[in-house]
Amino acid sequence: MNWSNVKLILTRELRDQARDRRTIFMIAVLPILLYPLLGMSMFQVAQFMEEKASRVLVVGVSGLLGREDLPPLLEAGDSTRFDKDLFHDAAQHRLLEVTLYPEEPTRRAEPKEDVSKTVRALVRDGKYDGAIVLPPELPDQLAEFRRAIEQDETTSTLQVQPEIVYSTANEKSQIAFARLYPVMKRWVEAIGETNLKAAGIPPDAARPVDVGSADVAGETKFKGAAIWSKVLPIVLLLWAMTGAFYPAIDLCAGEKERGTLETLLSSPAERSEIVLGKLLTVMVFSMATAALNLVSMGLTGWLILSRMPHLGSPPAESMVWLTLALVPVAALYSALCLALAAFAKSTKEGQYYLMPLLLITMPLVLAPMTPGAELDLGNALVPVTGIVLLLRNLLEGAYWESLRYLPVVGLVTLACCVASIRWAIEQFNSEAVLFRESERLDLGLWLKHVFRDRQPTPTISAAVVCGVSILVVKFFIEMAATAPGNFRAFAVQAVMLQVAVILTPALILTFSLTTSPAQTLRLRLPRFAAVPAAILLALLLHPVIGAIRAIVMELYPIREDLLGQLEGLQAMFVEPPVWQALLVIALAPAVCEELAFRGFVLSGFRHLGRKWRAILLSAVFFGLAHGLLQQSLIAFLVGTVIGYIAVQTGSIWPGIAFHLVNNSIGVLVARVTPELQQEYPILLTLFGAPGENGALYSWPVVLVSGLLALGLLAWFSLLPVAKSEEELQRELIARIRDTGPEVEF
Amino acid sequence: MIHARGLTKHYDDLRRGKFVAVDAIDFDTQPGQIYGLLGPNGAGKTTTLRILSTVLRPTAGTATVNGYDVVAQPSMVRRQIGFMSANTAVYDRMTAWEMVEYFGRLHGIASEELTDRMERLFDRLKMNDIRDLLGAKMSTGMKQKVSIARAIVHDPPVMIFDEATAGLDVLVARALLDAVAELRDHGKCVVFSTHIMREAERLCDRIAIMHRGRILAEGTLDQLRDWWKQDDLEELFYQLISRSEEEYLQRLRDSGNGGLAAEGAG
Repeated sequence: MNWSNVKLILTRELRDQARDRRTIFMIAVLPILLYPLLGMSMFQVAQFMEEKASRVLVVGVSGLLGREDLPPLLEAGDSTRFDKDLFHDAAQHRLLEVTLYPEEPTRRAEPKEDVSKTVRALVRDGKYDGAIVLPPELPDQLAEFRRAIEQDETTSTLQVQPEIVYSTANEKSQIAFARLYPVMKRWVEAIGETNLKAAGIPPDAARPVDVGSADVAGETKFKGAAIWSKVLPIVLLLWAMTGAFYPAIDLCAGEKERGTLETLLSSPAERSEIVLGKLLTVMVFSMATAALNLVSMGLTGWLILSRMPHLGSPPAESMVWLTLALVPVAALYSALCLALAAFAKSTKEGQYYLMPLLLITMPLVLAPMTPGAELDLGNALVPVTGIVLLLRNLLEGAYWESLRYLPVVGLVTLACCVASIRWAIEQFNSEAVLFRESERLDLGLWLKHVFRDRQPTPTISAAVVCGVSILVVKFFIEMAATAPGNFRAFAVQAVMLQVAVILTPALILTFSLTTSPAQTLRLRLPRFAAVPAAILLALLLHPVIGAIRAIVMELYPIREDLLGQLEGLQAMFVEPPVWQALLVIALAPAVCEELAFRGFVLSGFRHLGRKWRAILLSAVFFGLAHGLLQQSLIAFLVGTVIGYIAVQTGSIWPGIAFHLVNNSIGVLVARVTPELQQEYPILLTLFGAPGENGALYSWPVVLVSGLLALGLLAWFSLLPVAKSEEELQRELIARIRDTGPEVEF
Repeated sequence: MIHARGLTKHYDDLRRGKFVAVDAIDFDTQPGQIYGLLGPNGAGKTTTLRILSTVLRPTAGTATVNGYDVVAQPSMVRRQIGFMSANTAVYDRMTAWEMVEYFGRLHGIASEELTDRMERLFDRLKMNDIRDLLGAKMSTGMKQKVSIARAIVHDPPVMIFDEATAGLDVLVARALLDAVAELRDHGKCVVFSTHIMREAERLCDRIAIMHRGRILAEGTLDQLRDWWKQDDLEELFYQLISRSEEEYLQRLRDSGNGGLAAEGAG
């Protein structure tokens, strides 16, 4: 990597973009003008936007007329308003417009059911926003009730009650309800007070004190932070993306279109230098756009919104956090946009990719907006969502909570950044992408091509297809399936899932897309020592895996309800005879998952030309196929180890043995009880005293077995590995690079 | 200077399966010599030259440029060559001076030496009047001059011109050919691809006639005329191509692929 070249490319691209009027307008002029204009029009519009009064129907008021013993419901002399005393906030008074139900219901004239039906229909049809129905019997019953209190008789509850009719299907009606409810409550309270008075009890007896409230946000710097903490991260992310997208299209697809890309590619600059230079350019624009938007919005907000009572201006610290977050966010989006743009043949095609990108990003950005969305392990692991939530926590001043998840969010973001940058570089290294001809899309021809030109082992895309289809089908089936009630049901479900969802797709793809199923699935027998070594490794690693699992669970606890379900399942495993449990939980997954993930998927990824990348990618798919996130993390680690064994031995069998033994110990350990430990003291040494989460290995055991496992892994690393074509090519190229061409002319 | 052995390039093609763009070609070029690749459109000239400029990787075979391997040492190879084709355009939002300077600096030339060299280059190519003109405002001829200046600013031992005269008017094309000849006289190794006989006749010291990814004949112009008993290069070219085409169709018929044979004939 020659940094002066990167710098050279960066300065050129920056100058190039700066000379482009469209870019400058999008990035600098638009945000500076946009928010003041928006703020101004908001101010203008607000003047015309009055709160509209709700139209309310009141039924049965006539019964109240002339009742001195009841507090007034309507204002004296104006039957279109409720009584002023019923409002806490005097301003609310004019927001309820009363219409009396024309035909007053009486016990004689109209059956009650009919009135109620008519009123409901009126509200449902939107003729009125809400209605209050006072049953005709109510005044009399209330009077009777009070008389009973006065005379100290035992009272019974009232037979009838006033009713508010509204519809949640209509927003205006919901508002009417929110306005009516406190009015009616106040009215009923007033009746209660007169009742108390009648009984000779001071009216305050029912409410000796008022509940006070104190908003402490005002004492910290975070007053009004709640709304800002939700809005600012979204503004940041959206503009960081927009700011990255347009320059990226111009820098890649635009250069391809204008024919200058080949000029650049034939210069001494390396592809990685070109990508990095362009990436930094895009990042600069992404950050500038986001920053300008934030500043412009912040200024406008400070001027306009700070006049509104419930909103403070954004806290000053927020700028620090937003600036810090801007760098990784911009890097992530820039790399993504660059890779997409590099793939596009023309700027026009590039523009098409904005929509899919938005469709993927928007849910990730907006998911944290849902009420109650909090930073937990699951959310922290989601690429963009994690950043938004972390930012929100920081803006709200929850530093410790943020600190706990910072490593996870940071790692995920970093991994995404690195992956997208690599993707972008790969795009620039791919001839198919750089010199892409527009081809007619012909599904039939393509399928024929896939089948006709198949290789002994699957392609990389085939491996991805296999992994993704397993995950998708598994997701749908698990959603549709009901939770098993007993072990029998569980066994049937689990084995079906393994065979139908994991094994079958892998086998179908193996036989249709490869010419050598035996090589693809690694059915070759390994050297004799490999299988016993794998079994021993599984035994030695089990305590270590258990310890890691304990740490993961401690750091990122599973939600209570899920934990309950898990424990239910675990209890189920102890029910059946051991051999049945082993068959379902150990043997079936060991065979099916190994053939799919270490067979087909790993064989495909070997074409990447890098052993470890292939192992890790296959482990990612293996991990994702394991339900809960916490389980996925563990499964990823186990998958990495098994993948390594599979590559080193060139055979599926040691992996199956490892998987089988690993799962079997799990089944057996679950059956270790204190009684059993007393009977066999060796178990006590291994596991220590039984804790809450069942048997856990004692630390010395973890340490010793971990060290021994490392030794065994070292043995595996010494095995001669059969390399893939691509890996051999890479090595050859590396050798020539070091020593020069081998052929002399 | 350039040595290609068994150079091959396949593309995946949905219809035909594997499409062989360059089929195991061998050739060698020397300094002070213009090596012409002559062939009809689609013969594999551009692919061959793109492999030499390391923009494409060969599927098989090797090629070295001034001692560096095109696959293993691509950036070293790119330092040895000046590459110019119909596809290597000029930046719209850069002036002539900036553009040449940019590539000079990418080649790692120190700034004083670069300014010096560029002044001489601009004089020689008579480009001083377009020094501060943006690429977007240049005529085709001006752009071509900038491209030449860009390709030779680092004084490379090897120059590759791929259909460089395509789309140029007579005057500009002539100026370009003169510039190429001058480069040879300065001892450069020049590879020049074209489908225009007259250019090849006028310029090239050795000519390789390419068709369907193979070199059908190779030698100096006189050698070619001698061997094929044909003085007119165009006639010679036509005969070679038609004969090869016939053989190709015959091969297809023999392999029982009638449909493709018909397509090939069409």
